[in-house]
Order: sequence, then C-alpha cells, then structure tokens
Amino acid sequence: MARKRREAGSLESEVLAALWAAGQPLTPAEVAESLHAGLAYNTVQTILTRLHTKGAVVREPSGRAYAYTPVLDEPGLAAQRMRAMLDRGGDHAAVLTRFLDTLTAEQEATLSQLLQREQPDPG
Amino acid sequence: MGLAVYLPLMVAAVFGLTGPPIARRLRPGAATWLLGVGGFLTSAAAGVSLCLLGFTLLAQAPVLAAQGHWSDGVLRRHDPVTTPVAALALIAAVALLARVAVTAVRRVQAVREAHRLADALPTHGGELAVINTPDVAAYAIPGRPGRIVATTGLLRRLDGAERRAMLAHERAHLSGHHHLHQAAALLAAAGNPLLRRLPAATAAACERWADEKAASTYQRHTLADALTQAGTGTRLTVPAVVLPGVQDVAARIEALRAPAPPASPWRVVLLGGLVACAGIALAIALKDAERLFELARQADRLRTP
Repeated sequence: MARKRREAGSLESEVLAALWAAGQPLTPAEVAESLHAGLAYNTVQTILTRLHTKGAVVREPSGRAYAYTPVLDEPGLAAQRMRAMLDRGGDHAAVLTRFLDTLTAEQEATLSQLLQREQPDPG
Repeated sequence: MGLAVYLPLMVAAVFGLTGPPIARRLRPGAATWLLGVGGFLTSAAAGVSLCLLGFTLLAQAPVLAAQGHWSDGVLRRHDPVTTPVAALALIAAVALLARVAVTAVRRVQAVREAHRLADALPTHGGELAVINTPDVAAYAIPGRPGRIVATTGLLRRLDGAERRAMLAHERAHLSGHHHLHQAAALLAAAGNPLLRRLPAATAAACERWADEKAASTYQRHTLADALTQAGTGTRLTVPAVVLPGVQDVAARIEALRAPAPPASPWRVVLLGGLVACAGIALAIALKDAERLFELARQADRLRTP
C-alpha cells in the first residue's frame, strides 16, 4: 500500500517535471509522449486530473482534451527563501532591521498594514 | 593499563588515512556505511580511550580517591600512563567532547531548518518543488516527508528518461536517509581530527550510492547523460543540510559509464576489521582499567577497615 502510494507520488513528480520542462501547455497525449516511459494514456490522464485537484496545475480546453500548465507559487517560494536566509543569518533583529532599511515607503506601509492585521490574533 | 588503550587512537589514524581511498573502490552503499557509521564508532572508541587515559590522572586526585574509595597511591604506582601523557589526553578529551557537542547541536538545528523548509515548500502535497530559474540545480531536502527541489533550468535540459533518472537519484537520497550518514561522518570528524577527511568522502559515497540506486531502475547511460547535462550549469546556494545532487560530477559520470562496481568483500572486511579492532582494544583497555581500580580499592579497604 505504502509502496503503491510512493510510486503514484513519483509518477506525479515525473508528470509535473515534464510540464515544467515543456514550458507550454501540454495535452495528456503530449505528456505521455514526452515522458518516454511507455505509460498508458489513461494513467497520465489520471495523474493530471489528480494534480489538477491538488491545484498543482491549471488546464484549458484544447481540442477535445485539456491542455495543462503547472502552477508557480512564486510569492510562496520567495517568502520561503527569505525565511531560510533569516534562519541562517543568526541575529534576527539585526537582519530584520537592515531589511527594513532597504524597503521603499510604500513597501513599509504594506508591511505595517499586514502586521496590524495580525495583531488581534494572539500567538 | 597495557598498550590496548592506545590502539583505538592508532586505528583512528589508520582509518582516517586509508578509509577514504579504500572506500572509493567499494560499492557505494558499503562505502557509505563504513565511512559514516564505521567512522563514528572508530571516533567514539578513540574518544573513550582518551577519556580513560585522562581519567587515570584525574582519579589520583585525593578528593576523587576518597569519593571512589580507592587508593590514589596504588594508582600512581601501578599505572603505566605517565603524567604528561595522561594530562594531554585529558585536555584533548575535554576539547574534542566540546567540539562534538557543538557539532551535534548545529546539526540538529540544520536538520530542523531543513524539515521546516521541506514542510513549507509549495509542492501542492507532492514531493517535487520547482523553482522557476535558468539556474541548473536539483537537490533533496530531508523532512517528513522529504522533498525534491529542481529548477526549470535543469528540467528543460533533460529529456523524459533523464528527468526520471534525476528524480530517482534525489529520491534515493531521501529514502536512504543519506543525511544521517553525513551527520555520523561529521560527528566522527568533530570527535577526532585524524578523521577529518571522512565527511567529504562520505558525501561523495552518498552521491555515488544514489547514482547506483537510480541506475538499478533506469539505465546507467541515461543517468550519466542527465549528469552531463546538469554538470555544465551554474549552481544555486543550498541550505547546509541539503544534499546537493551535483558533486564531483566528472568522477560520477565516469563511474556510470563503466559497468556497476563489483562487490569487494576483502576491502569491506579490511575496513570493518579496523573498526572491530578499535572496539576489541577498547574492551581490553576497559578491563585493564577495571582491574587497576579493583586493586586500588582493595588497598583502600585494607588501609581503612
């Protein structure tokens, strides 16, 4: 069971990687072809539907099928990178202070707005 | 105490010198285990030896002797360890223990950071996170579950089969818990400067291990092609605990272009035997020390009935 789930997980990664590599929307047939894996069309279709349900890809009608594009969570990734840098920096207060110095007035306003919104929530 | 107490230190010196070159000619799985866990055990045995040597001096202090009910005079007369040697061992033991402690704390922090990173990566619940950049990089981030990060720059350079082989390589890092072998080697090196070459050698063995694991499912030349493609790009900076997928690429490609490495039992026995040697010598040394202290206790009992 666990093994099966693992295999399904790795197939999802492969399909996702193929979509990223293509750089343009792909239909299930095109995905199957670019995988060079001899996967059945239905298998690829199932994986793409699952990825779509998870929100990892978006789709648009293309002929009689859908064409799929991977979703990029750019803000999420940028935030993650900033977090990692902060964790590595050591003195959080110093790093954050310097970071604030680099912000424009507009960005500072956004930040303070966001912080105020967070305030009522304890913890 | 006889010469046995010095043997683990000599083993550490020999292991530190010969371990990495011997390991390069082993199957990478065996090499990783011997360098990581074997190195850790060797380092631990040498560390206990140092503590034992140092303790023979410490135990001669009247305060400790009274506390332990042993005769400090008997220890002084019967202990073959000279004072300067014991003092040196004591200083080394304390310094190295502190180094191990610092390394261990840093490692735990780094692994925690990696777990947090793996958790927060936008993977939509899958194992793969893609970074949209022309940089060429792929790495595995240990966590629960671990994640694989790949850049679009890399994915676009590879064909379908090569991408699968690359993903299998990174997955092998995660399923084999290679970061724990790394940690064992790092602790071994922190505990004994004679073993300072182990971390780099273990990292190289892990990469080769993941290559062979991927090559057992996909074709060797496919992974070699993938590495050739990936090797020419630039690198992203990665967190400390992460296992980067690209390291000493030329040697790895060469190994993949050749047939799978044959088992080399005598080399395994050689390195494993060294570790066992340190363990046996340590057991003898501990026995010797026990006998010495038993003698000192008896003398103490006779003096104060």
